[in-house]
Amino acid sequence: MRRGGWRKRAENDGWEKWGGYMAAKVQKLEEQFRSDATLQKDGTSSTIFSGVAIYVNGYTDPSAEELRKLMMLHGGQYHVYYSRSKTTHIIATNLPNAKIKELKGEKVIRPEWIVESIKAGRLLSCIPYQLYSKQSNMQKGLNFTPACKAEEPGPGPSSVVKQLNNRVNHIIKKIETENEVKVNGMNSWNEEDANNDFNFMELEQIFPGRKQNGIPHHRDNAAIFNGHTPSSNGALKTQDCLVPMGHSFASRLSPDFAQGEEQAEKSSTDFRDCVVHLSQQSTRNTDAVRNPHRTNSFSLSSLHSNTKVNGAHHSAVQGPSSTKSTSSIPTLSKAAPSVPSKPSDCGFISDFYSRSRLHHISMWKCELTEFVSALQRQSSGVFPGREKLKKMKTGRSALVVTDTGNMSVLSSPRHQSCIMHVDMDCFFVSVGIRNRPDLKGKPVAVTSNRGTGRAPLRPGANPQLEWQYYQNKILKGKAEIPDSSLWENQDSAQANGIDSVLSKAEIASCSYEARQVGIRNGMFFGQAKQLCPSLQAVPYDFHAYKEVARTMYETLASYTHNIEAVSCDEALVDITEILAETRLTPDEFANAVRMEIKDQTKCAASVGIGSNILLARMATRKAKPDGQYHLKPEEVDDFIRGQLVSNLPGVGRSMESKLTSLGIKTCGDLQYMTMAKLQKEFGPKTGQMLYRFCRGLDDRPVRTEKERKSISAEINYGIRFTQPKEAEAFLLNLSEEIQRRLEAAGMKGKRLTLKVMVRKPGAPVETAKFGGHGICDNITRTVTLDQATDSAKIIGKATLNMFHTMKLNISDMRGVGIQVNQLVPTNPNPSACPTRPSVQSSHFPGGSHSVLDLFQVQKAKKSTEEEHKEVFVAAMDLEISSASRNCTFMPSFSTHLTSSVNPVTSKAESSGKWNGLHSPISLKSRLNLSIEVPSPSQLDQSVLEALPPDLREQIEQACAGQQGEQHGDKRKEPVNGCNTGILPQPVGTVLLQIPEPQESNSDAGINVIALPAFSQVDPEVFAALPAELQKELKAAYDQRQRQGENAAHQQLATASVPKNLLRQLKPAAVKEKKRNKKKNPISSPKKIQSPLKNKLLTSPVKTLPGACGSPQKLIDGFLKHEGPASEKPLGELSASTSGVPGLSSSQPEPAGCRRPPAPNLAGAVEFSDVKTLLKEWITTISDPMEEDILQVVKYCTDLIEEKDLEKLDLVIKYMKRLMQQSVESVWNMAFDFILDNVQVVLQQTYGSTLKVT
Amino acid sequence: MTTLTRQDLNFGQFPVDSLTASPATAVTLLFIPSELEPSGAFLQPSLHLVNVKMSCHPELNQYIQDTLHCVKPLLEKNDVEKVVVVILDKEHRPVEKFVFEITQPPLLSISSDSLLSHVEQLLRAFILKISVCDAVLDHNPPGCTFTVLVHTREAATRNMEKIQVIKDFPWILADEQDVHMHDPRLIPLKTMTSDILKMQLYVEERAHKSS
Repeated sequence: MRRGGWRKRAENDGWEKWGGYMAAKVQKLEEQFRSDATLQKDGTSSTIFSGVAIYVNGYTDPSAEELRKLMMLHGGQYHVYYSRSKTTHIIATNLPNAKIKELKGEKVIRPEWIVESIKAGRLLSCIPYQLYSKQSNMQKGLNFTPACKAEEPGPGPSSVVKQLNNRVNHIIKKIETENEVKVNGMNSWNEEDANNDFNFMELEQIFPGRKQNGIPHHRDNAAIFNGHTPSSNGALKTQDCLVPMGHSFASRLSPDFAQGEEQAEKSSTDFRDCVVHLSQQSTRNTDAVRNPHRTNSFSLSSLHSNTKVNGAHHSAVQGPSSTKSTSSIPTLSKAAPSVPSKPSDCGFISDFYSRSRLHHISMWKCELTEFVSALQRQSSGVFPGREKLKKMKTGRSALVVTDTGNMSVLSSPRHQSCIMHVDMDCFFVSVGIRNRPDLKGKPVAVTSNRGTGRAPLRPGANPQLEWQYYQNKILKGKAEIPDSSLWENQDSAQANGIDSVLSKAEIASCSYEARQVGIRNGMFFGQAKQLCPSLQAVPYDFHAYKEVARTMYETLASYTHNIEAVSCDEALVDITEILAETRLTPDEFANAVRMEIKDQTKCAASVGIGSNILLARMATRKAKPDGQYHLKPEEVDDFIRGQLVSNLPGVGRSMESKLTSLGIKTCGDLQYMTMAKLQKEFGPKTGQMLYRFCRGLDDRPVRTEKERKSISAEINYGIRFTQPKEAEAFLLNLSEEIQRRLEAAGMKGKRLTLKVMVRKPGAPVETAKFGGHGICDNITRTVTLDQATDSAKIIGKATLNMFHTMKLNISDMRGVGIQVNQLVPTNPNPSACPTRPSVQSSHFPGGSHSVLDLFQVQKAKKSTEEEHKEVFVAAMDLEISSASRNCTFMPSFSTHLTSSVNPVTSKAESSGKWNGLHSPISLKSRLNLSIEVPSPSQLDQSVLEALPPDLREQIEQACAGQQGEQHGDKRKEPVNGCNTGILPQPVGTVLLQIPEPQESNSDAGINVIALPAFSQVDPEVFAALPAELQKELKAAYDQRQRQGENAAHQQLATASVPKNLLRQLKPAAVKEKKRNKKKNPISSPKKIQSPLKNKLLTSPVKTLPGACGSPQKLIDGFLKHEGPASEKPLGELSASTSGVPGLSSSQPEPAGCRRPPAPNLAGAVEFSDVKTLLKEWITTISDPMEEDILQVVKYCTDLIEEKDLEKLDLVIKYMKRLMQQSVESVWNMAFDFILDNVQVVLQQTYGSTLKVT
Repeated sequence: MTTLTRQDLNFGQFPVDSLTASPATAVTLLFIPSELEPSGAFLQPSLHLVNVKMSCHPELNQYIQDTLHCVKPLLEKNDVEKVVVVILDKEHRPVEKFVFEITQPPLLSISSDSLLSHVEQLLRAFILKISVCDAVLDHNPPGCTFTVLVHTREAATRNMEKIQVIKDFPWILADEQDVHMHDPRLIPLKTMTSDILKMQLYVEERAHKSS
């Protein structure tokens, strides 16, 4: 019966189809509902929920039945069965984990939404009531404008989209009718609030684009925005903002957009991300702060290139927002047209920078440095401030002369240098509240978040996990991603229970009142708000900051131009001269300065005065807030002992924790550490620094000028791509940004580095900080271009190439940065070139700069004056030598050197060995040398970055200079047989190692001096060489013969070279493998340095001036550099020994299987080499330099680590013999020092000490 | 304890065999300078083409053989950090420790030298060095004994207990007394680095042996 009935019914209503019954049932229920609804309708009814269809899942309060009733009453739909296509909202108070996982962007709303909407008499935004969604809350991707809808060809499978559209329409409708949106329950929502304003700005920025796209809804949207009161923080608004943004993005990013719904849908997810980018341009750019590449900060600080673009935009956008805490829309829309409409993502990038406080800060620093140096150039020697002070002083002393007499004169230590450190007190805050007296004396924080300090939790985010990771990182120095299963429970618990987390907006600055309750700069706002509920948030006001900074610097500049711009709110001033001139005491002067700054800026500044930079800074700490402190020399010892080590510059979190683990808290504790111990713990440089700093010693000068070394643009906030296309488009845009910056700086760059941050495997996909990068791995690729460029096209192309080689999972990208190094001025005119002699550290005989400059002059003349050729060649040589000299420093600072540097270092290494010989070399040979300048491709960028700035500067300058020359000039050298060899490598090679050119470089180097006698060349080996190489070698031999007449000069060189060469060549040929292994020598240059330095002046270079006929300056420079120059041959020698016998040996190994470098002393690995080096060092120098000794210690320590005690023993014994024989007692002491250090390390490693007989 | 021939070039086997042979020889060799055995107790076979004196006391040989046999599996797994031959004085305090520190080179390969002739040379150098080490060491007090310690990496000991290679030849945890030497002096003897292994020998010698 039943069966029959079933069949019968199936015939007429299509129930035979699968799911037919359910469809019918649902349909029936709907009908029922409708009829019920009509019955229920009475006075209380409304149509609030028209278009809303809810499905109640699980237990709710009010109950499902009640909700059904309510929906009936208020025009909504109630579905008993969930329908993906028809149900718009799922109502639930709590969902089990499994159900959460099933969610795909559906809205899960708490029932309060319905109740409160009814209460409010209108449909409230469901967003604040959202339980959780698959997408992060800000990433509400599927919001199409009606315009989008129009483009969609008809109904498709994804009616979700349609429904969302409906919903959006509803919302828009509502907003149109109601000007004031009162949002309830928004408080837990502040993350979004924080972004609201950005969204607005974003939107405005995009409007031009929208107009271009001809989208008719622009007006509507604008109207909506105008309707809002500025203070309303509504999610609704956000949503609306997102709509147009999303649209314009979609239309930009995916050309396929209109082609079909599926695609539209896909792209909607795409542009969801873009929207996120856009909307997430918050100024609280933690990412940059926690950027592990701290070494990069120089690059950050050196950018100011985008000043103009951003600046203009900025004043437009920030202007209005500076007066009110929320942006006022009318002004904004006015400002919007002034923003140049840029293709695609440009708006995003420039916007990112306009909101990045770190970007601004670094930009200002550059500007201010520039400002100071400009002042210096224009200086007339008259300082109004100083004059004023003098007058004041004389006036006062006239009054009090009788009683004080000369007291003040005596009391001020004029003989000693006096550094003043001026630091504005909580700069951002004091600027932010200077026009808001109501906030004075209250805890105030400058941050982008202005809500309560809470943000909704985005599913997938795992703040604890990240926190744990960073914590580990700090404590252990390295970190593993904690097992996420550990956190799972907690996570789900949180997902179920708490729907908001603390805001991750960073506090850029907070007032002293806020600091008292434990709030710190850099703290997350949410956390701070918990600590201090009355904390007031003040928005950024970049314009005002700049103004105040400028005023402060102008004030300072009225006294002296000896100012180092530390940052926008901090400056170091050398006031020695002023004090001497005005006869003021430091305190008096500081007081005057502070008064004036306060007068001019309405912001308080603190001043610390000490005899050096370190002490001045420390004194400022004590002076704060709004005070001054003069650290008198006699107080230094007591003062410094009480200081916490963390107060020392250069002591960061990791070092602090390391020190703490050593039981060191204060500088006093630190003073008990020996230099050796410190250097062992922290490396030679840092160890020495700590050793000196904790005693209050600091010899850094006040630097007034700094040079641009690189230009970069990096964004690691809000990067979420879903398609390769987006990433590529983004890279191209970033390239354009780079172009702008390069243009602004008037520079071209040759070396490109692409840095990508990729989510660390295992790290949560959703980051704890909204839009942040979370736990990441950094991947970098570097390429050297044919020519220095500032073209976005070239840069973009190269960048894309590099990007493709990375083969990344696009969705895992979290940050992208492009850096351009090896900058050369765009304008080749030397007078316009911004190369300024930089402050050189004491180790380096200056001169390379001046030589470079001169070189450039020479180059300019070159084309016309052929007789200058030799001079030019010489100059080129110097450059090289300085370059290679610099390169040799790398190893001492980084142990993970990639072999790409090695060719360079090995050259230097052998140049070290060569020291003793330093024979005069003919100009011709030098010419060849010039060719084998370490090509920039051989410089490892990471290594370069790890170098101290002054070194890096030198290297980069040398390279940049050389680069500039190479093209233009080398071709003009007919003498040179191997021109082709030096031509820069093809762009295609993306990895760091570009073997061919360098190989030929070394060959080129060989051809004059370093070649073994022709008879000694193994014919087999020779035959195995590629044809070009053979040709070059032949040419070289020919050339050598031609140079027979020069033989007299070269006698010395060649005589010893072949011998040397043979020795090295043979083993190289026999055990190629072994050779290979040793071929990663890392030279420790200091070793070379000192013999070198000694020889600089003694070296017999008399032949040169004649040949050059150049001005005295050049000769001077040349003399200084003759040492390194003459060492060159050996460099080639070793390069050639490794390069020639086995080509395979110089082939680049895949980066993965690179071995750690063998321990070496200045590049010497073999014991005999080490011996030679040591012998030379000990015999030629009477007073060993500390660095050299440390280098030796380092070598010995490396040997211990390498478990090569035998060699260690031999080295020690050898040194003992030599050093103790030495007449100089210094050497005895040096040996004792080395031995002591070695014994300590041995004791730690093996528990016993070396038996030295 | 065979002399290596070119025939048994089984790469899995060869290095370890060769290695165990070397320390075995080394251990025996050590006794000569250490004057642990009457000088008549040594034969002169050759290892790595070096004539070496070898013990001909069967039980001593057995002990050394067994010891090394047990070390072998560990060596194969790269679980051995050090093999130490400790010379103890009458009071069972160490006077000399011959430490064979064994590490694997960062890049393990046997590609370059398929005949391992290079390794053989290195081992030969090693043994030669041992035979002359008495020149750099002080004389031992009379009545010394020796023991062999193996420093293992990580949890190797536990595995060793599970799998006894030779019955009734168990490893026991060394006494602190055996291990710890008072006021040691380190004398590096030889380091060899090859593609398959890195080994260095050093001696730790008590500063005042007779006391």
